[in-house]
Amino acid sequence: MAWDVVYYRASDNSVPTIDFLEGCPTKVAANLLAVLDAVAEAPPPKYSGGGKWEAMHGAMGGYFEVRASGPGREQFRLFCVLENADPTELRRRGLPSPAIVVLTGFRKPWRTKFSERDYRAVRALGDDHQSNVPRWIAE
Amino acid sequence: MPKRLDTSYHKRMIAARMDDPEFRAEYERARREIDQVDSVIRQLDELREAAGLSKAELARHIGRDPSSIRRLFTAESNPELLLVASIAEDLGAEVRVVPRTRVRRGSSGKAERATTAWDARAGAS
Repeated sequence: MAWDVVYYRASDNSVPTIDFLEGCPTKVAANLLAVLDAVAEAPPPKYSGGGKWEAMHGAMGGYFEVRASGPGREQFRLFCVLENADPTELRRRGLPSPAIVVLTGFRKPWRTKFSERDYRAVRALGDDHQSNVPRWIAE
Repeated sequence: MPKRLDTSYHKRMIAARMDDPEFRAEYERARREIDQVDSVIRQLDELREAAGLSKAELARHIGRDPSSIRRLFTAESNPELLLVASIAEDLGAEVRVVPRTRVRRGSSGKAERATTAWDARAGAS
């Protein structure tokens, strides 16, 4: 069964991922969204995403990233968590089916790293998302 | 009863973006590329299961660390095949996993004769 793709919505009603995608080159956005659709159609634990969907590790364990490259090898990332639970728990969260939740996106020059501050920001969004029942998503 | 959320935003956004020919062309190209890589890895995993091998056993057979096989089959790492698929896509070809012979394994778990193998063929279409 295919999963849904949903976008985290903040308490001020902003949707960080949508703001990010609107600032991406068209081809980059197309690549990022194509990965999300591929993974949603063949969700974990199946292999999916063509190598552009990766589980994160360490302090980012439990998070997943979608990777794409842009002009000048600039790197673009989407950060996600998974909503997968029994139907009763999913209903409690307001979700009709399991879902990939896209929290936000960042970009960086080639051969540079995101800072710990960036990763903390992602985790803060993840924590906020999981604290909301039902979930807050872009509708 | 909790509110049931409308989860259709993503599909509506994709549908709207598909009106842009540049987006549509790149999205469809990217999906073909992703589907090729996914197909190769999934077929390998299916062959592994058909041979009755665990990931750890497969890792032992090929002299690799079991974690590398687990990561490969669970999308926890970027397979090197992506480059192959990208090149194949660019050449109008596709990567295929082709079993040469049916695997027969004895009680030791070792193949009794030529084992299932896979080719990454890039045949121009």
